[in-house]
Amino acid sequence: MTFLRLKWWQPPAFGLAAILLSATAVFAQGGTLAEKIQLCGTCHGEDGNSKTEKTPSLAGQPAFYILNQLFLMREGVRKVEPMAAIVKDLKDSDLDGLSKHYSALAPKRSDEKYDRSLSPRGLAVVAERRCGSCHLPGLVGQQQIPRIAKQRIDYLIQTLKSFRDNPRGGADTAMSAPVAGMSDDDIQALAHYLWSR
Amino acid sequence: MLGRSERRGGRGLPHQGGAHVHFNVGPGWFNCRRKFCISDRRPGSGAAQPGFSPLDKTKPAESKQDGNLKPHPTPPIAPSADKLPIDKIKLPSGFKAEVWSSGHPGARTMVMGDKGTMFMGTRTIGRVYAITDKGGKREPKVIIQGMTQPNRLAFKDGSLYVFAINKVFRYDKIEDNLDKLPEPVELTKAYDLPDTIHHNWKYVDFGPDGKMYVQVGSNCNICETNPGIHGQIRRYNADGTGMEIVARGVRNTVGFDWHPVTKELWFTDKGRDWAGNAGPEDELNRIPKNMEGASFGFPYCHAMGIPDPDVKRPNPCAGVIMPAALTGPHAAGLGIKFYTGSMFPKSYQNVAFIARHGSWNREQKYGYDVVMAKISGGKATIMPFMTGLLNNEKNEFYGRPSYVFQMKDGSLLVSDETSGAVYRITYGDAKTAAR
Repeated sequence: MTFLRLKWWQPPAFGLAAILLSATAVFAQGGTLAEKIQLCGTCHGEDGNSKTEKTPSLAGQPAFYILNQLFLMREGVRKVEPMAAIVKDLKDSDLDGLSKHYSALAPKRSDEKYDRSLSPRGLAVVAERRCGSCHLPGLVGQQQIPRIAKQRIDYLIQTLKSFRDNPRGGADTAMSAPVAGMSDDDIQALAHYLWSR
Repeated sequence: MLGRSERRGGRGLPHQGGAHVHFNVGPGWFNCRRKFCISDRRPGSGAAQPGFSPLDKTKPAESKQDGNLKPHPTPPIAPSADKLPIDKIKLPSGFKAEVWSSGHPGARTMVMGDKGTMFMGTRTIGRVYAITDKGGKREPKVIIQGMTQPNRLAFKDGSLYVFAINKVFRYDKIEDNLDKLPEPVELTKAYDLPDTIHHNWKYVDFGPDGKMYVQVGSNCNICETNPGIHGQIRRYNADGTGMEIVARGVRNTVGFDWHPVTKELWFTDKGRDWAGNAGPEDELNRIPKNMEGASFGFPYCHAMGIPDPDVKRPNPCAGVIMPAALTGPHAAGLGIKFYTGSMFPKSYQNVAFIARHGSWNREQKYGYDVVMAKISGGKATIMPFMTGLLNNEKNEFYGRPSYVFQMKDGSLLVSDETSGAVYRITYGDAKTAAR
């Protein structure tokens, strides 16, 4: 664990490979929940609010959502390369502990560059696509459905595109309808608006 | 250009193969700023629209339903055996329910191998289980994981067929190799199923004619579908050759069975959402002899002749085969099995058991049970059988029956997706039931 203590608090710029290596070690060796949370924090933020490019904030996500996604990644249904080694050996009790921990934290906006001029279009997209129907009017998520308010802009863009262009379509077909035919501009506007919520 | 043809939509589009439809999707596609832009893949073209029909006409606001209704989650972790809702289950007098197996989250379809292995398909969690008997106790084992919604399996000549979303695999001699699965033979190309994912978690089964019957769902809640691609039941030779369409205008059937006497195909079909809490109700349908290939009405005509409010055409129900019975608003009838066993009383012979998964698009929850369909000619009467998993007063449910399976001894298995368990229903004294 020595090398872990040296690295967990280092900024992500320190090197993803090193973090993943240490993460894999701790997760595989069945470290405590606190140790696992520290490792998650290297990319997802110590307080669950991510400062890492294209990496989602977990703070304030519904507990069921976190548990479910960790499960799907562990099983290989949702394939996220940097996560594969980390989730591989998680036990059901870890999924439970991690999801409870992150759902209790307060969500905060990232320091990404926000383009205010995009927000009116983003708001219109939310209404047109009825995002609030499942994500709730406050876009805070419920059960298996994630919080999208205050999420990172770059992560939202990446995720919406992968739902639209299919690589992430199959695990939960529910998103295939709302994103069908969404333009890149609308995705951009939507992401900026959601960040600002 | 795109916008104009869409505005004409209701009157101008006979179906997606019609002249108004813009097939060749160029780079301009992603610049479409309208709510829904016209485009769909040409069969076999592999063009750009994945997942869902952009022609969807769902209008939740007009349904006057609670806009926050959403599908229920499936827990990926099953409760322990002592926390299952077995005590809540109610059955007609003389019947009993017990836990047959548990600890396999996402429990849905069941199919048994020749050597007694129970194989089970799931949806979102992507697993296939093998459940084997170990000294009178059932032990589930994950044999496949990470697949995209392998909802339905079929078994023939020692091989397990696994149907995921638009992918087909065959595992030969599987029961001799449960510890290390053989490399599957991929039949995806042969079956050539459309690449759309919505409503395309599969239901399949071998018919009495030895052919593989396969569901191809509508790729939307409510939309114009190309009747040559979506909203069908097809049949194939087991190797994927010789495709024929045996039913059209089927929104989404995820359960069918053949009547033991007439050999006609009966199937459940789920009604559309966001057209009110009252329905249109789900259907139990029959394909009458010599009517194979006929239409069952989607998207124009629902239930016993209700025209669709959003997708219109003149004479919406002309030529449509009406259901044998309605099976309840948003009830989500999934698995169906005609009873041919010897354990239940004689009056249960050839009665169809239907697992109703339970509603999501309805404010007051409905279903979450197993009903019986008593057949008389081409019609059926629906009656309650297994109840107790829905609490009407609290508007909450304790389990979601998904599929039914008849064991050799005549007992009936019911899978419960949210509890990750299978219940066994028996009739008579302990001795009879233990057979």
